[in-house]
Amino acid sequence: MPPSNPSSDVKSADLELVERIRRGDGSAFEALYRQHATRLYNLASRMTGAKGEADVLLQDIFLLAYRKIASFRGESSLGTWLYRLAMNHCLDVLRNRQTRMGQQTDSLDEPEAPPVASPVPILSAVSRIDLERAIAALPPACRAAFLLHDVEGFGHQEVGTMLGVSEGTSKSQVHKARMRIRGYLAHGLVKKVES
Amino acid sequence: MTCDSLRETLVDYVDGRLEPAETRDVERHLEVCDNCSALVTDLRTIRAAAFMLDRHQPAPEAWTRLQAAIASEPAPKNRLLAMPGRANWPVWLGAAAALLLATAIGLLPLMSREANREGDAATDAGETEITVESVAAEFEAAEKHYQKAIDDLQTIADKDTGELDPQVASVLQKNLSVIDTAISESRAALKSQPASTNAQDGLFGALRTKVALLQQTVELINEMRQGNQAEAGRKFQTLSQ
Repeated sequence: MPPSNPSSDVKSADLELVERIRRGDGSAFEALYRQHATRLYNLASRMTGAKGEADVLLQDIFLLAYRKIASFRGESSLGTWLYRLAMNHCLDVLRNRQTRMGQQTDSLDEPEAPPVASPVPILSAVSRIDLERAIAALPPACRAAFLLHDVEGFGHQEVGTMLGVSEGTSKSQVHKARMRIRGYLAHGLVKKVES
Repeated sequence: MTCDSLRETLVDYVDGRLEPAETRDVERHLEVCDNCSALVTDLRTIRAAAFMLDRHQPAPEAWTRLQAAIASEPAPKNRLLAMPGRANWPVWLGAAAALLLATAIGLLPLMSREANREGDAATDAGETEITVESVAAEFEAAEKHYQKAIDDLQTIADKDTGELDPQVASVLQKNLSVIDTAISESRAALKSQPASTNAQDGLFGALRTKVALLQQTVELINEMRQGNQAEAGRKFQTLSQ
């Protein structure tokens, strides 16, 4: 897992890789692609809910990275820098989609699942399909934090750096996401919010 | 601890990040609160299910498409086309830079092979079985690509011969001749010993040298066009070595 504040070894390796890319070393950029492509592919696909466009999204993200690689200064790890760029791109895609649909920017913050109070666990098992639908129904900020932390396994510090928020905000968004998912699943809202 | 105060620490408790004393406080509350206990169980179920979600792979041709897209991009550094006044430059300068980038992309399989030999574990080119035939085919494809780029570049340059100083053109021609000889010798060596690492490295090195020489030439012309005589002089010295 790439740290937000990379060790000197990681920082040195990242800067060396970036320098090779700047010099036009194709194998260096391929190394970056091979290391992160699968994770970014799944992240972008779930973030935007556009599985059919995931390959295009992935290409856009790496093209952006190629164009902006000279701006990398080693303040975070190269991986963290790349994920931040990817998440910003996904959020842009969502905003553009909303604009085309003529919706308010914050309209994706709904629907809110009613709180659930139950003396016994209500989720004996979670089907993959239901969970994917529940994730797709989350507000973008919650979804981003949940995907990075619970699905991809990054720590809250990295998630905060990737999303441009504090570590505390990352925790809050992840908790909010889990609570909403529980509510969606408990009330059978997944299909409703999808439609 | 109350249900409300539990909410503040729930995310860390579910993730196992609370201090031992805090953990004991939470667990004492969970022993007497069925609602919070059920909530914790459900949140852990969601967390586990999220971590177990499927991981899909990008299409195998995604990297190839990305390579092609990058070939039409200016290099992130030493951007030959991103200098002031580019709009007034002749078309062939841009085309020449694009050709050189395309050539570099065409040589990527060779570059990847070399990088892997040096232990760059981040690439997964090792998944493909390497045979004498595949190596020979790879070199042949790269050479054809490279030669086409050189031919096209020469055709374009011939249309604007006034751009090259005769002294520069002479040095360039001399160096190209030396490199071409090296390429011919390396090619002959590789033909007689297709599996020889030294022969592969020799041809690969000669190809890279020629690409670098042409790239330096384009950079030199850029500097001359912008009137940067000092930088042009330095590039000419490099070119002459």
